[in-house]
Amino acid sequence: MSLATTTEQRELRATVRRFLADRMPLTRVRELMATDTAFDRQVWDGLAGLGVQGLAVPQAHGGAGYGFGELAHVVEECGAALLPGPLLATIGLALPVLLAADDHRYLPGVASGRTVATVAWLAPGGGWDSAGESLTVANTDAGWRLSGSASTVLDGLVADLVLVVAGTGAASTVVAVESGGTRTALPALDQTRPLARLDFDDVPCTPVGRVGDGARLLDTALDTAGTLLAAEMVGGARACLDMAVGYAKVREQFGRPIGQFQAVKHKCAEALVAIEGAEAAARYAAWAADENPAELPVVATLAKASAAQAYFRAAADNVQIHGGIGFTWEHDAHLYFKRAKASLMLFGDVGAYRRRLADRLGL
Amino acid sequence: MTPSPIEYTAAQREFRAEVRDWLAANAPAEVRGLRVPRGPSDLDERLAAWAATLAEAGYLCVAWPTEYGGRGLTGVEVSIMNEEFGRADVPRLTRGMGESLVGPAIIAHGTDEQKRRFLPPIISGEHDYCQGFSEPDAGSDLASLRTTGVVDGDDLVLTGQKVWTSGFWKANMIFVLCRTNPDAPKHHGISYVLLPLERDGRPNGVEFRPITRITGKALFAETFLTGARAPLDNVIGGLDNGWRVAMTTLGSERGGSATTQHVAFLRQFWQLVDEVRARGLIGDVRVREQLAWAYTQVETIRMAGLALVADLAGGGTGRGLGNGSTSKIRWSEYQRRLTEIAMDLLGPDALVVGDGYDLDHWQEEFLVTRSHTIWGGTAEVQRNIVAERVLGLPKDPAPGGTR
Repeated sequence: MSLATTTEQRELRATVRRFLADRMPLTRVRELMATDTAFDRQVWDGLAGLGVQGLAVPQAHGGAGYGFGELAHVVEECGAALLPGPLLATIGLALPVLLAADDHRYLPGVASGRTVATVAWLAPGGGWDSAGESLTVANTDAGWRLSGSASTVLDGLVADLVLVVAGTGAASTVVAVESGGTRTALPALDQTRPLARLDFDDVPCTPVGRVGDGARLLDTALDTAGTLLAAEMVGGARACLDMAVGYAKVREQFGRPIGQFQAVKHKCAEALVAIEGAEAAARYAAWAADENPAELPVVATLAKASAAQAYFRAAADNVQIHGGIGFTWEHDAHLYFKRAKASLMLFGDVGAYRRRLADRLGL
Repeated sequence: MTPSPIEYTAAQREFRAEVRDWLAANAPAEVRGLRVPRGPSDLDERLAAWAATLAEAGYLCVAWPTEYGGRGLTGVEVSIMNEEFGRADVPRLTRGMGESLVGPAIIAHGTDEQKRRFLPPIISGEHDYCQGFSEPDAGSDLASLRTTGVVDGDDLVLTGQKVWTSGFWKANMIFVLCRTNPDAPKHHGISYVLLPLERDGRPNGVEFRPITRITGKALFAETFLTGARAPLDNVIGGLDNGWRVAMTTLGSERGGSATTQHVAFLRQFWQLVDEVRARGLIGDVRVREQLAWAYTQVETIRMAGLALVADLAGGGTGRGLGNGSTSKIRWSEYQRRLTEIAMDLLGPDALVVGDGYDLDHWQEEFLVTRSHTIWGGTAEVQRNIVAERVLGLPKDPAPGGTR
């Protein structure tokens, strides 16, 4: 399969763009931001109606059997629209764990949109690499039981299925939790991406994949999630650049549009250069996820860091170019700015991703 | 086999096989592994012989239409050619500015007679061009140039000063922009003329005074035109129409170097990794982050190139996949930054040069890369182009119609 965007991908993308423009304008995003879950079930079902959740699920398990190349285009649109909701958690994090674990139980539910899923691994107060530090799972006489706490769980309040990376002795194992435990909303800096804390006390669960294989599964999930997050950030960055350019064309100071000043022009041009690079990397990583997975650990890592930088810069410069109005709650610029910073930090900041890349290159 | 992100047509695959077979049969061992030096060197003879072989086989000026001695290759085919030359590790020579600038300008704007007279000598190497565009007071604002061209009988007589003339040391022709109508608005009244450095074996009023670059080498010159004469038949596109001619490029064919440009950068990256390892610095977190940054930039250049060629090979136009300006900003600023980092990492060693200001690779690249964000439109001009032509921001109220 070619890296080139196909006609089908363009059409799918246009369909999703129209759907989101209709159902998820920024006014609706703001309404959802005011809720704990930031989840619009009807929009989620609408996306499922367009086949989005099933794109990368194999046909044998109820999906469309396309891949992450298609998803990347869709997710770019979701990023541009600041769609809140569990797409990244379900498709970016949970689905790759299920696929890599060869666990087919939940795939039809994921593909149809019936199942919202997420992955939990972070220790409260811990870093992104704290998997297994605050959660333990054991096979008891009563069956598999999970105890402990996970923090900063994406869409943790609304997930029907929580895949938890928990310690099993020296290694870690992924287990599936469908009910039980306590879920608490964590007020998020980026209100469009809700976070939760999950506490488990002897909660029944079932292993996903091999016992002791948790680290590998989480790594796989993070590479795929990084790839889709990169695509989402590229879409968000484009939206910021469009917003900044649109404003610079009409806002006049000193008797001329501010877009005529090179100080403003150059910021916009630099944003485009960064976005084009990040887009190339994000789409290549999505291509590799489908066609050349051996390359994914390197290219997903650099795509995520690249997109994070491009998005943050575009979002920050968008605030700057808007001036005072860009610093107000009323203006939408801060929604993107916060999403950009939160996405940059998600799963590790730019430096962390660079160190990871250096490791993976064998430096 | 690694899957390819580009789906080539059957014809493109055949072309690749053709180039590969030709190289296997015809590339002499003495050009394998050769890197073309920036200035005159003892490799010149070997390279000239290789160029002659390429000319003979039709592997020079390949993007020109076949009727003018080219091969009519598309951007995708040129990229395939570049890949195969890279695979064989032999230099893919070109006829420089004669091939990339003068030829396309003649093909687009020249008369049939001019095409017959000037195109074949570019391919054969008989005419070697240097460029007479920039002037001391006309750099980024090229159209403010002041060199005059005065019609005298059948000749155009040129007087003025040009600067930054690269490759003067091997040229026998110079293509010059001069003002032939001082009363016309700035961008009008300019003519594009092909000026021989000698006429009938005698000097033609063109004097080069080499300028030493910050590397210590004199690879470009100031050019003084003092009553230099070119036949009016050497004016391309007609008198006073030179601005349009000068703006002609091979821009319609994108793709050429898109899939190979990163190769040299990647080689350089791993060379730096080796140097860093040898100095025991590879475990340093800051160093690792800097190297990972560099690798990311090189990979981004590779991936953007692949996306472009994948689109072109599939019949697309490459729209939305970058352009000359964004790509130049990306690679030139990467190179500049990489060499700064390399100098830092090499530490005190990098502060000592050889006798006669002989520079090692990193010292030379550190200095040379300052020029990449200046020539061919400065980084600032490139940003203006991106902002105005791609993003549609309002143009500077520059005095385009006045002088």
